[in-house]
Amino acid sequence: MTVSVTPTVKWVAQCYDHNEKHEHVSLYLLEEGDDVVLVDSGSFYHREKITSEIEVATDGSGLDAIILSHSDYPHAGNVRSLGGDTKGIELVASSGSPEQQGLPDARKCSIGDRLNVKGRTLSFIDPPLADRSHTTWIYDHSDGVLFTADGFGNYHEPNQCGFISSDFDEMIPAEEIYEYHRDNLVWLRYVDPEKIEKALDSIFTEFTINAVAPVHGNPITGKDVDVYLSRLYETLSRIAAEYDVG
Amino acid sequence: MNREIAPGIHWIYEAGSDRTEQFELAERKPDWYESGREAYVPQCAYLVEGDNETLLFDTLSPASTDQILDAIDELVGTRGLDYLVVSHPDVPHAGNTYAILEEHSETTLVAPAYGNDHELYKLDESLQVAEGDSIDLGNRVAEFHEATFLDAPVSVWMTEQKTETLFPVDWMGFPHLDEESLLFVDELDGTFDASRLVEFHGRVLFWYQYVDVEKTNAEIDNLIEKFDPEIIAPAHGLVIRENASEYMELMKDVTQTIDNQGRIGTLG
Repeated sequence: MTVSVTPTVKWVAQCYDHNEKHEHVSLYLLEEGDDVVLVDSGSFYHREKITSEIEVATDGSGLDAIILSHSDYPHAGNVRSLGGDTKGIELVASSGSPEQQGLPDARKCSIGDRLNVKGRTLSFIDPPLADRSHTTWIYDHSDGVLFTADGFGNYHEPNQCGFISSDFDEMIPAEEIYEYHRDNLVWLRYVDPEKIEKALDSIFTEFTINAVAPVHGNPITGKDVDVYLSRLYETLSRIAAEYDVG
Repeated sequence: MNREIAPGIHWIYEAGSDRTEQFELAERKPDWYESGREAYVPQCAYLVEGDNETLLFDTLSPASTDQILDAIDELVGTRGLDYLVVSHPDVPHAGNTYAILEEHSETTLVAPAYGNDHELYKLDESLQVAEGDSIDLGNRVAEFHEATFLDAPVSVWMTEQKTETLFPVDWMGFPHLDEESLLFVDELDGTFDASRLVEFHGRVLFWYQYVDVEKTNAEIDNLIEKFDPEIIAPAHGLVIRENASEYMELMKDVTQTIDNQGRIGTLG
């Protein structure tokens, strides 16, 4: 399903079923005039649905660029099937060694860069919450959307797949935020939570953020960001406190 | 490029690209770097031969598909490859998994039991291993361990009991200079410079910039006590075969240094 997050950012919501709970493995479309830029390409697991969603969302004209937050398989699994290896579609990736990441023809984006991709100005940010070292967060200056793979995720109930944060009765539940980060960013058990909070505060101070767009969670609207951050900080403290090195 | 690190354990080495420019080594002049030299952070796979069965740990990157297929043929010959262990489904570690399985229908795919999204990595039908699980190869046993310092949640470390070799995957990697490819650390000129370890971990384990140093170093003490290895065979560095635990001790200084100076950059 495709859901509008901001006027020109659409969320292509895809879910992986963990039995009782679901986890998003999503992607986003940026519409810039006649051009469409895809942020992440999703998993091979959802290839048919993603291909169909993009076909409909672009009225059959297809994509003009693909930007990868990182080359992990659930994010980069459809680069070729969506034409990312063809001349007509610009491929932008954060890898420092694209050959070793299987993306030898990608245009490189580095942390700290600001690039124009099909008329869209994007900043690439050092991500305080990620798994792979070459990951970048991506800030879209047009709509003020921060793409935050693999942080800011959450599990959700099967009937909440297309929810944005404001659709929940009391925003995204703290327990779902906690369980996602505990399971997926395992290294959080070693952190000093205050160091990550400081890094996140710096990003949210520097950029005007109208929405947060996670790959593995429900999008968070601007008015819900403070509540989400509060729950996230509780999560960081809880994960660190629960792990005892003995 | 291969080298036997102990009888029946083979180091399969992929240099990757020269990192001199990416790491801005000429400008930054880190202690470990010599001006005018090329620098590499390799991808390493390891092939373990038992009396009865053979096991490959990791696959090199997709840039080296032919190399890993040729190395398997050269090292196992007609014996075949019995197990392919993927330490974690990261492209430079697992990028040739299906090329290998296509060539070797006899091979059992082994993957970490950790994490909860194996289907997204096509690992759901693999043999999944966790702490305490082992594979008996005949005269030697590969034992699996929860990965301590990692990136992906679907990760596993391995030890080989006969030689007391620890395979710590993304931990304890470091760059080397052009003429040091496939050298053991004890064969390097001069004293090993711990700033090599800082260069790697300040990039790859980017989250070291956020750790509680005391807690992390206590975990390193736990690892030294648990493994006390004779050999350390990292995925992104040269093999350590002398005083291995002393290099693990060095990692506590690395933690402190990165806490002081922050992240160095990326690797990718």
